[in-house]
Amino acid sequence: MAHVVLKDLVKTYGSFKAVNDVSLTINDGEFVALVGPSGCGKTTTLNLVAGLISVTSGDIVIGDRVVNDLDPKDRDIAMVFQNYALYPQKSVYMNLAFPLQMRKLPKDEIDRKVREAARVLDMTQLLERKPRELSGGQQQRVALGRALVRDPAVFLMDEPLSNLDAKLRVQMRSEIKRFHQDLKATIIYVTHDQLEAVTMADRMAVMNGGYLQQYDSPAQVFAHPANMFVASFVGSPAMSLIPLEASTADGGGVLTSAEGWSLALSPRNAQKVARATTKKVVLGARHSTIKLHKSAVPGAIPAKAYTVEPTGDVTFVQAFLSGAIVNISVSPNVAVAPDEQIWLEFDQERMHLFDSETEMALEAS
Amino acid sequence: MSTVSETNSRGHSARRLRIDGWRWGGRAFLVFMLLYTALPMIWMLLTSIKSGFAAMQFPPQWWPDQPTLDSYQKLLDPQNSVGQDFLRFFWNSLIVSTATTILSVIVAVPAAYAFSRFTFPGRNFLFFAVLLRNMFPAVIFLVPLFILMRAIGLVNTHGSLVLTYLTFGLPLAIWLLKGFYDNIPVQLEQAARIDGATRFQAFMLIVMPLSTPGIIATAIYSFIGAWNEYIYAYTFLSKNEQLTLPVGIQRFFSENTTDFPGLMAASFMMSVPVVVLFLLLQRYFVRALTEGAVKH
Repeated sequence: MAHVVLKDLVKTYGSFKAVNDVSLTINDGEFVALVGPSGCGKTTTLNLVAGLISVTSGDIVIGDRVVNDLDPKDRDIAMVFQNYALYPQKSVYMNLAFPLQMRKLPKDEIDRKVREAARVLDMTQLLERKPRELSGGQQQRVALGRALVRDPAVFLMDEPLSNLDAKLRVQMRSEIKRFHQDLKATIIYVTHDQLEAVTMADRMAVMNGGYLQQYDSPAQVFAHPANMFVASFVGSPAMSLIPLEASTADGGGVLTSAEGWSLALSPRNAQKVARATTKKVVLGARHSTIKLHKSAVPGAIPAKAYTVEPTGDVTFVQAFLSGAIVNISVSPNVAVAPDEQIWLEFDQERMHLFDSETEMALEAS
Repeated sequence: MSTVSETNSRGHSARRLRIDGWRWGGRAFLVFMLLYTALPMIWMLLTSIKSGFAAMQFPPQWWPDQPTLDSYQKLLDPQNSVGQDFLRFFWNSLIVSTATTILSVIVAVPAAYAFSRFTFPGRNFLFFAVLLRNMFPAVIFLVPLFILMRAIGLVNTHGSLVLTYLTFGLPLAIWLLKGFYDNIPVQLEQAARIDGATRFQAFMLIVMPLSTPGIIATAIYSFIGAWNEYIYAYTFLSKNEQLTLPVGIQRFFSENTTDFPGLMAASFMMSVPVVVLFLLLQRYFVRALTEGAVKH
């Protein structure tokens, strides 16, 4: 196992910058998820680490070697592809043996390692099959087996679960997590599904437009999103972002909506707003931090329920505030009807404030 | 509820009937096409086992009264002059066609792979240029190519034919193979390269076996093209001992106008290698090797 360092990594295609000054340190044995919407540069970053494409500038360090100019085969990595990329003409056994044959290991050692990997992944009975005779989950497992049979320094995984059906995906998710815990492997995992990143990774690197937006533990990213993109990307349903006008009166801060209502801020939040360069701020609140009242309460803001979505253990209510959709989760025994008048109370401790121009989170000090 | 299911089933059977009508039409067409292509061949075979006199009879003998293999014996007998000529033509054709096939595969495989996988300056222009040749009838190039061959001293050599057949066969071979490579997911090579293969090994060990059907199709295409070609062979070669089968048989025909069984026997034997090739290799055409490689 080894650590991986990306230093000011840049990849351009003509004038298009796919990856922009990305710097990341992935510790030995760490599970890092690269997450972002499609086209954000996460797969490009992974391919750069794999050596499948060449870097425009910057450095990639695996272990203690700068690997920029090394062939993929010399980087001591293994990769699991979204479409598994199993060799269709080879049996499962030969698929697993291929990386070892390429390294010219003796036959009996190859046999031992292949059977060991097959045992670990519980597919000893599948060794003679061809990939096309396997189910999607089994193919996925062979792909994983082909990666781990060689004991590489770093595992690269490119959306390995996105071709599986929902149920299998959840199952394989915990299997890969378990696999990481058992092997203490260094894993770089690319996904567009923030839920996978949050549930599996030690740290997640949120990317957008080729830029690294935030790199931290899922809990930190969830609790302290660095900017509006991260805030709206991580968490489901997405954080509600409400554009408002800030003003300060008698040392206290107030957010005013074009709709006429206003919200008094706690001293700490007032301090954040005071440090902003613009009067236009965006209030961010997750569904679970907004309290829904069926009658007027001091500090609560009047709104109209727009849609009501019961999911079983929680009911999501959507409302419009200042032209933005606000998600609120309520207990399923709270009956709310569409178009019903409701009052929303924000949790001052857990609300987020963003500068509407820079889109960065406002900090108190 | 019952009305709904009733209309449904009626609509269904009506659609079925119409498909049946089309299907019968299709079958009739296929039978017609089969007879259209097979009857001349059958007639060729039947004539080749008749005696010279029986072949000229009118009304024709539908089935030979006295089937004989005399014509085949004559053609395959190295002792008599007809046999010597035929065997030499056959051998010449085999050499020219095989050389064309091998060379076109050797050139087309890397070319098609490059067109499929790499972006390089002038890629689109080159690919179009490759196809440009096929937009003109072959005869247009007859005189220019003859002048060219004379200039480089290749007239009256088999090399002139191999070179010419390559220029005609390669564009389609490259086009055909590029399609095959396009359908092989690039991730397979990437996986191989990460698994420890060089780019060349990934190509040889993973991509080549998967493109076997394409390579075989290409090879057969080149072979048949070279085997059947007439006009260039007729123009470029004048020495009797160099002629290929199509020209040789034509000469044979003009010298022995009356020997229809001999002509038909020669034609039949000329079609044998092509048929054998097809029978041996046809399974590669239908083998869908990439199935199961990736999840679609």
